[in-house]
Amino acid sequence: MPEKSFDINRIRAEIEADAETRRRQDPELARLERDIERAWIDVAPPGAAGDDPGELLLDRADRLALIDVDAPIGERRGVREVKGAIRKATYWYLRYVTDQMNAFSGVLTRLLRRMNERLDHVEHVVGIYRDDRELLDPPDAPSPATSAAIAREVGSGRTVVLSCGDGEVVAALDEAGGSAYGVDRDAVALLPGVERGLDLRTGDPRTHLVELETGSVDGLVLAGFVETLPVAMLVDLIDISLDRLAVGGRVVVAVADPGNRSPIEAELRQGRGISPETWAHLLERRGAAVSLVDSPGPRVTRLVIATTP
Amino acid sequence: MNSPRVHQFTAVLAGRDAVGQHTVGVDRVLRSMGCVVENFAAHVNADAGMVAHNFRDHERFAPPDLLIYQMSTGSPVAEHLLESDTKLVLNYHNVTPSSSFEPWEPHIGAELDAARRQLSRLARHAHSAIADSHYNAAELEALGMEQVTVVPVLWRPPRVRQALAPVARQASVLFVGRIAPNKRHEDLIAMMAILRVRRPDVVLDLVGGVSSERYATAVRELVERLGLTDAVRFHGSIDDATLDQLYAEAAVYVSASEHEGFCVPLIEAMAAGLPVVARDAAAVPETLGDAGLLIDGPNPVALAGAVDRLLGDDRLRSCMAELGVARATDFDLEMAEAALAAALRPLLEAR
Repeated sequence: MPEKSFDINRIRAEIEADAETRRRQDPELARLERDIERAWIDVAPPGAAGDDPGELLLDRADRLALIDVDAPIGERRGVREVKGAIRKATYWYLRYVTDQMNAFSGVLTRLLRRMNERLDHVEHVVGIYRDDRELLDPPDAPSPATSAAIAREVGSGRTVVLSCGDGEVVAALDEAGGSAYGVDRDAVALLPGVERGLDLRTGDPRTHLVELETGSVDGLVLAGFVETLPVAMLVDLIDISLDRLAVGGRVVVAVADPGNRSPIEAELRQGRGISPETWAHLLERRGAAVSLVDSPGPRVTRLVIATTP
Repeated sequence: MNSPRVHQFTAVLAGRDAVGQHTVGVDRVLRSMGCVVENFAAHVNADAGMVAHNFRDHERFAPPDLLIYQMSTGSPVAEHLLESDTKLVLNYHNVTPSSSFEPWEPHIGAELDAARRQLSRLARHAHSAIADSHYNAAELEALGMEQVTVVPVLWRPPRVRQALAPVARQASVLFVGRIAPNKRHEDLIAMMAILRVRRPDVVLDLVGGVSSERYATAVRELVERLGLTDAVRFHGSIDDATLDQLYAEAAVYVSASEHEGFCVPLIEAMAAGLPVVARDAAAVPETLGDAGLLIDGPNPVALAGAVDRLLGDDRLRSCMAELGVARATDFDLEMAEAALAAALRPLLEAR
């Protein structure tokens, strides 16, 4: 057995006392500790870097806000005490606010997670909005021949192509002298077009449309994603599209007729889709002047052209 | 008289995990007592080392005389057992406090909160409990359980797992444990930053898989920001032979963990003759006994001071190694198995 003079509790006390002494007397160690703490706070989320940020919190407040925690400056009798009181009050206030923010963000995170779980559950039970990409490829982007037909109908001006795929329509519009860009959710599908130098952007087409300003574009091409939306959302989308067009602007809808869907697509594609005739009907009901134009296909055989009044 | 039938449950049966090893050990002990044992889990890893059925198939087996639940986290298994009228023994290994995970992985924090709620209900429902430390037993007693027996985790430490050739200790510091917020890897990294000022050659070996990707990323980033990429080695989850080798090669074992219900790596380190420095928290002092150097924490400066002292004092290191080896024998596998058998025997006889 180890010798009796070996006292582990004494060694522990010595080590802890030595650590305290070094902390007080060695400015290099204090600076290193401060650097370590700051590095950790920079990489850790709120609330994870300890309960007592103390001096570091004040330091951060100094850096981030117009709060001078050392004011008023002066060494006169009494001023030092006032300084100390202000410093302490600032610290306690900042700490209180930080704790409240951390607690609030923690509660929000937890609530959002629960809401997400419940929505997942509801969506699973109801069977809507299920991501069908594992079952079925997304609708093909318009063919080069259809793209050329779209470009002829849209004409020049600033045009946004929603569900642009590899950018065939955007390229056709650019060649026709217009200024076009495309948006698609599938970043991989965009790549060939991006390499060709086309202005193609990753994002949700519907969200992008919603975020456009009223009357800000001359042309809109609706493809792909509109084939998978529920009817109620399509009606909303028509209103939004017409609102975002400048006076005399054109919407071109390039969708496959759901009546021509193969059995696999008919049964697995989410959203029933609506025919070009129904698109025309809905657009007319919203006051647009509408025509149907034959398209070379193969998938999209007719284009719906709507002009704002 | 027929052989007693026991059904043992656990949330996840994994071979490279203290609770998994213990579950396999309990199965071994029960069979040696003449019981007919079936094991059930929600998930069974490929390395489990034992057959376990899905817990939902439990009703398809002949009704048991006794249920044993190995609890270390929340699980639908607990809900299943709460519906059973059969006598239940709760074998409790503790649940990590949600506050550790909350800022990093809120969903895990919520699951840990749910686990604590399950624990309260299990404590009311179970006939009796086995805890692997007095620290864990105290928690069960606070929940109103009266029959709680302490039996350590059934675990075979490295010197018994494999006879190791003595290796010259390097200037390396070892920690074994999953990369999880409650293990406080950031304090170990801070300790290294401080220690390297005095001892630029020291390295830290970190062994263990990842429980929180977000936390692990932050720990790795801290290492980079402090310029310690050559001083901190992340080994991940490794096989027993490699782990034993790291135990054999290291000079000091350090733990900054703020929550442990038992902590098997401490026993492994002591058994391997490694002096142990650890934060004085949860069940750590109980497991170490008088054989480890405890530090009030979190205190990376003191951890660095302790390691520095041990690296510079051969006599102290050797004394602590000797104390550790002696302490590890208190958790001898055969003794723990006998204690477990003694705790279970009255329950099996009273069926």
